[in-house]
Amino acid sequence: MYRKQVRRRRAVLLLLVVASLTLLSLYYREGNGGPLHGIQGGVSTIFSPISEGADRALKPVRDLVNWFDQTFEARGENDRLRDEVASLRDDLARAQVTKQEAEELSRLDELTSGGIVPDGSEPVSARVVGRSPTVWYSTVTIDRGSSSGIRVSDPVVAADGLAGRVTQTTGNTARVTLITDAESSVTARVLPAGVTGVVEPNIGDPNDLQLGYLERGSDIGEGQMVVTAGFSTGDLGSIFPPGIPIGEVTDATLEEQQAYQRVHLSPFADLRDMNFVRVLTEGGDGE
Amino acid sequence: MILTSGIVARLIALGALASVAQVTCFSKMDVFAAGPDVALLIVISVGLLGGSLTGAVFGFSVGLLIDCLLLQTLGAFALTMLTVGYVAGRYREKVGPPNRVAVMVLGGALTLLGAAVIAAIQIGTGVDADVSFLVVRDAFTKALIGAVIAVPVLLLVRLVVRPALIDERRASRRPAAPRPAPESQ
Repeated sequence: MYRKQVRRRRAVLLLLVVASLTLLSLYYREGNGGPLHGIQGGVSTIFSPISEGADRALKPVRDLVNWFDQTFEARGENDRLRDEVASLRDDLARAQVTKQEAEELSRLDELTSGGIVPDGSEPVSARVVGRSPTVWYSTVTIDRGSSSGIRVSDPVVAADGLAGRVTQTTGNTARVTLITDAESSVTARVLPAGVTGVVEPNIGDPNDLQLGYLERGSDIGEGQMVVTAGFSTGDLGSIFPPGIPIGEVTDATLEEQQAYQRVHLSPFADLRDMNFVRVLTEGGDGE
Repeated sequence: MILTSGIVARLIALGALASVAQVTCFSKMDVFAAGPDVALLIVISVGLLGGSLTGAVFGFSVGLLIDCLLLQTLGAFALTMLTVGYVAGRYREKVGPPNRVAVMVLGGALTLLGAAVIAAIQIGTGVDADVSFLVVRDAFTKALIGAVIAVPVLLLVRLVVRPALIDERRASRRPAAPRPAPESQ
């Protein structure tokens, strides 16, 4: 009896491991239009309204926890203020959420109305409804998909700068791969020097990006702004339009520039805490 | 754990809720620059209460749903959660029901194991970019948070699956009335 149970347990475990590995392997092999992507899209579409509802409903809880985190860091607060804030916590959290969202949307408006949106392109605002629980996948899920005209490779901007690009769409949702993801690389230009390079992530550190493949002898200083280069060579071109702010150079030692031809920058967009993004679509209906 | 259709339905609801809440809420939280991995702790709890088979199947299902919700590589989280659920279940089968300290230690250690599995999958499938040391810090912070909240999460899961727990049934059963002593001859 016991041996039978052990055999059954091992068989199920083996089956599940094989299923996981098969899924991983097939998923990598098939294209975006493959059957596994289709099933995944179907499940995501079914759960999309639930996720959106849960995102809105749970936002006060999230903000409350984040508020505790921020409070913990602000050690200088006196007891009277703490008591007062504690009694007003719920109202404050709600008010801050509304204000923060309004500010974020307003900054998003400012950014996309500043000439970075290419002619013919139609910005689509979307709410961030999901985030990967691990730093290895720097992706978010948004509540707009191909039915809103969003296509794979559309650039995505957050309130303060470039966020990433769309890498998968379903009818009502899309996956945005952030510029801090291992799969991301963006051609960029340093202002005012005009030096170009490729922005790549430093996995695990959302506040650090690397601008690599710089020309030898380029002299980049701290505090200089980095924007998308948006190059175009014949049929080959960057998916990002030129001039979208990416970040600011934070570490540019001469040694690193000469030895590794790279500098470090900090992204403008707060990629860990964004509620809204704008997808720069090509306009018209989606796929 | 006795798996009746009612308990299976409860586990399905728990898994779906845990996945949606993880993706929409817990992953967006910022506690010491890391988000709590509550879905993983729920899988650990189910493993500790139901054994390796239940833990593995529940973990696989929750992981697969998270993969779908995030439109991520299908199978990555499924394999991670399956591993964690299975190991938690094996602990239960080998050592017995854990006490509170053991639950905390397991919560932390298995969160670390989950981080290691997902890192191995990512590295195994190819990472072109540099990897920051903060990945390690993130894993340890999550493990610490996991250790702290493991007990309340286990109590919550225990509440959900209570009717299926053999230990609980034994505890709630009324003691048998004492038999009258045989008359001496």
